[in-house]
Amino acid sequence: MPLGIFAFFATLAVISALGVILQRSPVHSLLALIVTLLCVAALMIGLDALAVGLLQAIVYVGAIVVLFLFVIWLLNLERDPEESGRLGIKLLAAVGAAALVGELTAFLTRTHMSQQTVNSDYGSMAQLAGLIFGNYLIAFEVTSLLLLVAVVGVVAVARRWPSPRLANRPPTLSAKPQT
Amino acid sequence: MQALGPLILSWRSVLAPGIVALTAVVTMLVGSGLSEDESESVGWIALTGLVAAAIASLAASGDHIVTFGGSLIIDDYTAFFYLLIPVCSAVVVLFSFDYVAALGLPATEYYALLLFATTGMMLMAGAGDLIVMFLGLETMSISAYVMAAMAQRDPKSSEAGLKYFLLGAFSTGFLLYGIALLYGATGSIKLEAVAQMVRKHSIALSPFVLLGLGLILVGFGFKVAAAPFHVWTPDAYEGAPTSVTALMAVGIKLGAFAGFIRVLLIYLAPLHAQWSGVLWALAALSMTVGNLAALAQENIKRMLAYSAIAHAGYILVGMTAGRSEVGPALLYYLLGYAFANLGAFAVLVAVEQAQQSGTKLDDLSGLARNHPMLAAAMALFMLSLMGMPPLAGFVGKFYIFSVALESRYVWLVIIATLNSVVSAYYYARVIVAMYMREGAERQAQTRQPTLLFALAVAALATVIIGLLPHPYISASSAAYASAEQVLRPATAALQTK
Amino acid sequence: MIVEFPALNLLLLMPAIGVAFNLFFGYRLGRSAVNTVSVGVVAIAFALSVWATVKLATMPPGSCLQAQLGPWIYAGPLRLDVLLRFDALAAVMSLVVSGVGCLIHIYSCGYMGEDPDFARYFAYMNLFTFSMLLLVLAGNLLLMFVGWEGVGLCSYLLIAFWYDNPLFAFNGRKAFVVNRIGDVGFLLGIFVLFSAFASHGLWTLDFAEMRERAGLISPAIATIACLLLFFGATGKSAQIPLYVWLPDAMVGPTPVSALIHAATMVTAGVYVVARLNFLFALSPSTMEAVATIGTVTAFFAATIALAQSDIKRVLAYSTISQIGYMFLGAGVGAFGAAIFHVVTHAFFKALLFLGAGSVIHALGGEQDMNRMGGLRRRMPLTHAAMLAGTLAISAVPGFSGFFSKDEILQAAYTSGHKTLWLIAVVTAGLTGLYMFRLFFLTFYGKPRLSEERFAEVHEPPFVMAMPLVVLAALSVFGGLIGLPEGVLWGNQIGAFLAPITGRVSAAPAQAVMLLSAITSGVTFIGIILALIGYVVIPTLPERLAAWAQGLYRLLWSKYYVDELYDFLITRPVLFLSSAILGRNVDSLAIDAVVDGTGEAVQGGATAVRRVETGNVQHYVLIYLGGVLLIVGYYLLSALRH
Repeated sequence: MPLGIFAFFATLAVISALGVILQRSPVHSLLALIVTLLCVAALMIGLDALAVGLLQAIVYVGAIVVLFLFVIWLLNLERDPEESGRLGIKLLAAVGAAALVGELTAFLTRTHMSQQTVNSDYGSMAQLAGLIFGNYLIAFEVTSLLLLVAVVGVVAVARRWPSPRLANRPPTLSAKPQT
Repeated sequence: MQALGPLILSWRSVLAPGIVALTAVVTMLVGSGLSEDESESVGWIALTGLVAAAIASLAASGDHIVTFGGSLIIDDYTAFFYLLIPVCSAVVVLFSFDYVAALGLPATEYYALLLFATTGMMLMAGAGDLIVMFLGLETMSISAYVMAAMAQRDPKSSEAGLKYFLLGAFSTGFLLYGIALLYGATGSIKLEAVAQMVRKHSIALSPFVLLGLGLILVGFGFKVAAAPFHVWTPDAYEGAPTSVTALMAVGIKLGAFAGFIRVLLIYLAPLHAQWSGVLWALAALSMTVGNLAALAQENIKRMLAYSAIAHAGYILVGMTAGRSEVGPALLYYLLGYAFANLGAFAVLVAVEQAQQSGTKLDDLSGLARNHPMLAAAMALFMLSLMGMPPLAGFVGKFYIFSVALESRYVWLVIIATLNSVVSAYYYARVIVAMYMREGAERQAQTRQPTLLFALAVAALATVIIGLLPHPYISASSAAYASAEQVLRPATAALQTK
Repeated sequence: MIVEFPALNLLLLMPAIGVAFNLFFGYRLGRSAVNTVSVGVVAIAFALSVWATVKLATMPPGSCLQAQLGPWIYAGPLRLDVLLRFDALAAVMSLVVSGVGCLIHIYSCGYMGEDPDFARYFAYMNLFTFSMLLLVLAGNLLLMFVGWEGVGLCSYLLIAFWYDNPLFAFNGRKAFVVNRIGDVGFLLGIFVLFSAFASHGLWTLDFAEMRERAGLISPAIATIACLLLFFGATGKSAQIPLYVWLPDAMVGPTPVSALIHAATMVTAGVYVVARLNFLFALSPSTMEAVATIGTVTAFFAATIALAQSDIKRVLAYSTISQIGYMFLGAGVGAFGAAIFHVVTHAFFKALLFLGAGSVIHALGGEQDMNRMGGLRRRMPLTHAAMLAGTLAISAVPGFSGFFSKDEILQAAYTSGHKTLWLIAVVTAGLTGLYMFRLFFLTFYGKPRLSEERFAEVHEPPFVMAMPLVVLAALSVFGGLIGLPEGVLWGNQIGAFLAPITGRVSAAPAQAVMLLSAITSGVTFIGIILALIGYVVIPTLPERLAAWAQGLYRLLWSKYYVDELYDFLITRPVLFLSSAILGRNVDSLAIDAVVDGTGEAVQGGATAVRRVETGNVQHYVLIYLGGVLLIVGYYLLSALRH
């Protein structure tokens, strides 16, 4: 991948990622997130990982972020959230985050990247399928389980439970009535 | 990528977690058709599934075999946790029946998530690669986040779930980054291949490996509630419904430590010099912060949260030693810890229901008068957690500390022993409250056979494991030895005969 | 010679049966059943001890009986069994524990005759006997530690037996916590020993094996281990610096004070030192420490006892003082003499406590000696018994305490510890003084009790009087088992214990006579002073106290040690816990949400909003700090390579 293209997408990815956390409006944040994800997808395609790149674009941008958008609408979060946190905390957090970034950078600059050539079918659909249904079968299956858990969990948290047996009780804990 | 032999697709490695996951699905299907009043039957289904899984854990025992291309491991270590984790979850189910109804929790979702969480814990124990371990961890965590927030009538429950979730998500990021770095450095996500790679000096000390290791320690540190990654624990433990707290204090710890011990002590053993220092600090900090903060707590769930942090510290003392003698000690300790905690929370559940009270220390005043059996059981569990001989907690502590001392971690052992003295104070406070303070006369009675059964199981286990530790230590030794088989080349195995 | 003797299991388990019986059926079957069973099991244990001792006595010296109750911990190369071993030392101790224990159980039937909680009381007492026998009979150090913790627990439960009184409950907790502090030392000592042996490939804590292979231990390790173990012993045996709990432990029922806090449990530390004498012998500096701490404690406690007015407190300080003598004996290598003093002390101190208990019982709970006096006329039997006990503890020649204390003092002198010997002799004088002060204040002089209450004072009932008589006889004649060498049958108990504890070379006969004469003389001076001060010129002590007001207040306030500990240790820890960790970290984080304790009916939204206003941010910051440290640590180590 030409350096110029990499630099362009990488910079754009970082800028838009900053946009995600700096925007006040959730919808704007989300839009910035879409840009980030697309940039990363472009980088992946540039690295010849075509399948992963496309999946990134389709799954994240196409499905997940749209889902986020729905959630935001559902929760009616369009208003700016109130200013939160004290200045001191923000400052500390900024310092901490900066320190972490510094440490990580220091780490990575120490590292010698080894060059490795990959097979021509690297990142192809066929190889991906082979891995998913071969060595990573369990991981693949467990992922589906994880998604199921997430769905059940969201339902459990979001639904308001009518509890007729408890309707007349005070909100403190109480024993089960003798039936 | 390194070849790891033929791809073995073995039913033995997936049978027990599979049963639990399937039971979860069945619970949801059945539960959706039931009215509120019939929801108890969902619990019975969950119980049946857990018992079946515990029995099916036998299938996973035997010599060390890597299945599914390294994703899941069959050995006695896996089997040990495949047995222990469902049993603990089953005890939680046993004392959940009336509690779920009384709190107005959605029974179907409650039991389904409990089963899913159990599946995740078991997968962590059996995982042979970092992806499955990560997925297991997330499965169990997400279930736990939701379960913590389930008591919708109590704002503290939502708060607990949200805090747990936010910090959990935060820590997941670090763990995943660490795994990715380790993958980048070693070229594999399979633990066995990673272990082979880090044996080479040049790779072991590469910055990628070190950073990856550090971030993995952070991630696991969060899950086992080691200081300074413990901050979520008191709030989450206090706010969550008590039965869920029990699951968090026992099941999640078991799953997390099962994975943590396997990854660190067995596969990353060559890096002992690199991680022992950090674990030393985590252990010392966890014990000290946990025990000192527990002194000032007035709420027993909060106190038990800090106590759980302290106990994580004791276990980390053993892990710091990193010798293969310590492995059995850790497993044995987890065994004793699990039942004492389950029992303590079961008592709290019983107290909440019988007295219609909260879980403050004052609410236990005079428990010995009103419910002598509950008080006696609670005293037993507190004494075991305190490390009073001859109960399980003492033998475990003794075992861990003596191996740590044997490995020349003198100061750590001194800190640990001093801490266990401090802990005597707050555990004794519970006993004092129950036996030596007058409480309001409360005549409500518990007549819940399942809860009493759960209590009896926990109490018996606490006594027997401590009084006759021999079979449990040999089981732990066998389990750990079979997990260690991976380290020894065939010739070395012959020599040891 | 080692002989299997399964009856030892029964000996140990008898009191355990009593515990189970009392807990499960006690209240249902009533008082007489509880009394019969509790006393019965201890009596059977005593009978079995006698049987075992007789059997042991017929075997060649150095042999022992043993029984294996079952396997315990088999972890890798470590194999620990529940192994009971009955050698000469264990024989002496188990005879004392079950014998004196049995008498005190009998006494308790009368003393606790009115208490509604009798079943719980006897369950604890039996549990104590069980734990103490386990401690004594244990074949390895870890099993002994189980008994060690068991007696500590029972002590705590019994001190706080009348827990309705918050002070009593607090004192119970104090005893428990102070003991736990000692236990750290003990446990660390076990660890050190364990790892020292293990580093030579010997994974054991078995006493016999350790004794055989003690040569493996280097003197430095032996010093560390022994100092740690001795620190544990100072906790259980109430020596400096951990003696503070014992005087407060006197709030428990008096038979408890007699059994646990005088006759048996508090001597466990001495027993441990004697049991591990082969280790202590490796470390002369530890022996010096033991002897010095023992002597200083003996003196220190005796001075405090001079100024106390609570009868049980005087006895408590005298216990501390007497145990100091035992440690002096052990520290100068006279382990046999120390154990001998344990035995005689068990006799006369149990007697004194039970006698004091009779007085307290007769006076309806009065413990202040300033409100007693003149009781001799109303309680002649108790008076006689107490006199026997007081003479014995003051080591008047011919009485039991004389022989054991004299043996210790002579060993101290002949081993060259002249300074310690001198302090101990002065302490002997103080002992005579404060013990006869107690005796005169209680039984002589004018009654300081109101007329009608004095008229109600009565002798104890038979069940309480009988143990008094038996113990009085033992206090008078019990010393005959250990006469000085060359007198009649000589030192029987010393010879019996010698294979385990070793013997010290005796001083020449003339020196023996002279030393005894000096000690006895000092003792008599003390007694005469007491006679003058409390019988002949009763106003003298007050004038003295007024004259040396500062000293008196210092003694009366027990040298302000409790206050010192409170200031130095208790407050800082509590401050750290509640003010720093509890208040700041904790409430900084959760604040009002927690304190609202669920009364907050604000609904989830409020909670969520509160969360957003800061708390989780703090958490994340703490978390981030941890991450930074760990990543920084690895960064540094990466930079180094």
